[in-house]
Amino acid sequence: MRAQVPRPLLPFVVAVYFGLLAPLVVVIAVSFGPSAVFEFPPRGVTLHWFEAFFASSAFVTAFFRVSLVVALLAAALATVLGTSAALGLVRFRFFGREAVETFFLAPLLVPEILLGAALYLFYARLAIQASIWTLLCGHLVICTPYVIRSVTAGLVGLDPRLEEAAMSLGATRVQAFFKVTLPLLRSSLVSGAIFAFIISFSDINLALFLSGPQSTSLPVHIFSQIQWQGDPTIAAASSMQIVIIGLLILVVQRIFRLRLVV
Amino acid sequence: MDHGGARPIWAFLTGPYALFLFVLLLVPFANIAMYSLHPYSPTKVFLPELTFDNYRKIFDLYYVRLFGRTLRLGLITTAVCAVLGYPLAYCLARARPRWQAVGLFLLIMPLMVSAVIRVFGWIVILGRKGLLNQALLGLGLEPVKLLYSETAVVIGLVNIFVPFMVLPIMASIERISPSLEEAAQNLGASWYRMFGRVILPLSLPGLISGCLLVYSLSISAFVTPALMGNSRERLVGQQIYDEVLVSFNWPGAASLSLTLVLVTAALMFGALFATRRAGRREKAS
Repeated sequence: MRAQVPRPLLPFVVAVYFGLLAPLVVVIAVSFGPSAVFEFPPRGVTLHWFEAFFASSAFVTAFFRVSLVVALLAAALATVLGTSAALGLVRFRFFGREAVETFFLAPLLVPEILLGAALYLFYARLAIQASIWTLLCGHLVICTPYVIRSVTAGLVGLDPRLEEAAMSLGATRVQAFFKVTLPLLRSSLVSGAIFAFIISFSDINLALFLSGPQSTSLPVHIFSQIQWQGDPTIAAASSMQIVIIGLLILVVQRIFRLRLVV
Repeated sequence: MDHGGARPIWAFLTGPYALFLFVLLLVPFANIAMYSLHPYSPTKVFLPELTFDNYRKIFDLYYVRLFGRTLRLGLITTAVCAVLGYPLAYCLARARPRWQAVGLFLLIMPLMVSAVIRVFGWIVILGRKGLLNQALLGLGLEPVKLLYSETAVVIGLVNIFVPFMVLPIMASIERISPSLEEAAQNLGASWYRMFGRVILPLSLPGLISGCLLVYSLSISAFVTPALMGNSRERLVGQQIYDEVLVSFNWPGAASLSLTLVLVTAALMFGALFATRRAGRREKAS
């Protein structure tokens, strides 16, 4: 039995979605338009700005050598860190467990701009030069909680007796984990990893502080191009990010419950 | 369920990330707290004396105005997000699973795209020769100067933060049984009366945590005001960015950051507390 949503609400909701999606639609349209000024609706369809994107070494470096590399590494490492942390939190009872859980989700509560400033000043005190590694460490702080959240959700729905059964049949604890638990956790693990990738790939607030001149990430490069009034190459780069992120979220929605990760 | 036993396996499992967060979250903020107590000098990176001047400075007229503007825009953003987000959350919570999946995708997809890209979209829409002004000209109306104003900043912030309002409200409405709505309506209440008496009070924890979340996110925003705002009417986030990376007034930036962290931490824990308590009450009933 379902409650009936009153009809007058529906146009309102459609209007809110319209506003929510308008900037993305406009960006994608501009990236295919022939005009060098940002024009909407476009007067034709061309791939010129995508060619310009691949011809620009600054954009290509920011996209493939910095953002993509950092996001892939962040996803892999955050998945390892986060899965192990989630296992410890869900499968064991120990003193201060709730406090540790709150601490592990704390990075989601700290405004990113402040975390970025704090890490910048921390690296500055230790005289560490900005590189993709400083950026990666910053991203791991904010990506790992998403893995913890999705793996925790996966583990809660998993019967610990399965693991115990494997152990009573002669498997060691490690074998039971890798042969029984891990395969059953696959979809929540993959969802966590995808979200870690997305968070790193689209982050701008940390990257503004942590990426150096040699390691400008794609969002930071887009930011400075907007400030310098660049051409629709910005839109082409943005469209590619939008498509990648959209596809990844579709994957998560297919294999897991989106709500449990966000 | 394992209770640790002789070998504290939980410590090996949770240890790595705990250590990581200690080094890259707690220590950097301790470092900021230390910076904020040392005086600023334009020529030296670090002076050993201790001072409270960096905090006293926050009460200067310039900073009071800065905080006033930031907190005010945060309030407006939060209010608009609540008005736009609540009906959306209600419809999503009560939608058929198929539509709910579509709605969630369309809500979370823009949320995950970099803020800078969404701001870029708004610049194209609101700019001097943008979509909005072309539409106004086409209708024979005067073009408006929206971009680089407070209104533009609020539009940008609302666009970015609406999903953060919708998700907690939606979660709390989903916990309310639809049969409660039917019962109220069967007893003769109109939909609007039922909403005011049943749904709104029961979903209040979600609304509160959504509001606190959006407020604390919007008072620390940087990208939106930097690209869509007036350069003379800056917000705290921009001030911190400039003091760290442009004027190198690190003690000043540190005291500002710490003040903002304390404000947002208080709000965030309030949000966490509101949702937790709601969760417990639900378990108890």
